[in-house]
Amino acid sequence: MMENRSFDHMLGALHAEDPRINGLSGNETNPDTTNEPAKVLAQAEFQGQLDPDPDHHFPAVHKQLYFGTQGPPAAPTMQGFVQSYWDQQHDVNHSRKIMYYFATDKLPVLHTLARNYAVFNGWFSSIPGPTVCNRAFAHYGTSFGKASLDIFYIKEPYKSIYERLLDAGRTTKLYYFDPSSSTQEVVNLLKNQPKIFATYDQFLEDCKRGQLPDYCFVEPNYSDHPGDGGGQLLASDQHPDHDVQEGEVFIATIYNAIRKNPDLWKSTALLITYDEHGGIYDHVPPPACPPDGFQASAADTGGVPFAFDRLGVRVPAILVSPWVAKRTVVPGPEDKSKGRVFEHASIPATITQHFIGAYDNRSPREKVAQTFLDLLTDTMRADADCPHFDFD
Amino acid sequence: MPEQPPVIRVPRPNRGKSYQPHRPVAKNTLLLNQVKHFKELEKGLAAQHQTGIAPEEILTEGQAADYIKRMTLKMHELHRKA
Repeated sequence: MMENRSFDHMLGALHAEDPRINGLSGNETNPDTTNEPAKVLAQAEFQGQLDPDPDHHFPAVHKQLYFGTQGPPAAPTMQGFVQSYWDQQHDVNHSRKIMYYFATDKLPVLHTLARNYAVFNGWFSSIPGPTVCNRAFAHYGTSFGKASLDIFYIKEPYKSIYERLLDAGRTTKLYYFDPSSSTQEVVNLLKNQPKIFATYDQFLEDCKRGQLPDYCFVEPNYSDHPGDGGGQLLASDQHPDHDVQEGEVFIATIYNAIRKNPDLWKSTALLITYDEHGGIYDHVPPPACPPDGFQASAADTGGVPFAFDRLGVRVPAILVSPWVAKRTVVPGPEDKSKGRVFEHASIPATITQHFIGAYDNRSPREKVAQTFLDLLTDTMRADADCPHFDFD
Repeated sequence: MPEQPPVIRVPRPNRGKSYQPHRPVAKNTLLLNQVKHFKELEKGLAAQHQTGIAPEEILTEGQAADYIKRMTLKMHELHRKA
């Protein structure tokens, strides 16, 4: 799971070559603070444009989604991204950069994977808010009523997907990059379940030996820091203003590690997604969803009532496997008859369905979340049909 | 000869330009919050296991990484001893 990039920012350009991908037409705009339309432009750079880190706490995202309305129950307008970014620096030209997206093939890894495997048109972050609560949905199927970055306390009866798997006699690991980067997951998990954690180097070794657990989750490097054996380690999380290219290298290395072991390749499904949009423009209004049984605190939302009954902004999601048909595009809300909506609770929902089966003690959101292993076909693609990455 | 899979070239970033461990941690709310979470965990540790690092001493990304490393290794060490 990567950090803080919207679907349109990373994959929006691909609409021009495959109209089934619900990306950008090139005509989408947001008003800037002088009321001039700021158009989407294929001018995103790897680093240096999104500094400061665009605000993506709940109140800012509320503005990004509902600008020009009184808020829910009105439909999101997706017209407040530029205004919201202007709030941080009061610089009109700078605020318009929140509309920039990556040109075709500027991201060779993500764009190649999207072209070769399954791209989801309708994968949304779980909450219109920041990292920790969104990542919690990937591990617990809920954020236990939190809509912020605040420290997080696990409440009964919902166990993490890792604890569920261990209870069922399955194997699982959460690979963080290294101790200096550690985990962005609920730190209680590190305190209470340190045995489920391992490093990225261990992940690569486990791939080489064909010893990946039944289910694992891989975290990127969250900071620039010296390596234990010397050298300079670049953040690979793609969080603004970290270098997006290092994230591309990270994703490609994980893909190659699985791809190069034939036994692993034929038995592994790799999902690449992002925790939330990081304040960056996307054109698809997030849909409503069943409530999660909690009410967010006014401190988290700036006083906006929120019952965890609508999703956050859309993020990139790609499912990689030789069992996925080439150029699969999973329709989203744009397809009124066949469209499917996924969110991060789809991750524990899928893993539970596949490895455990019937399991009742789950959040209301996870119980109704779409699962995605039906995208795997009965036909394994030829080796020559699945690309490799090589590094310059 | 069997057909070979396509090979996609992946450029690496310019490390000299991109590597910024002295970047102010205040610019990255995610890291700042990660430090905050570990500080909360540290409060629950016995005095001999605490780092003695005050939050206001952590000003850069590199310093945050160093603190997070100490705390992560401490969590594992304490669990092994338990």
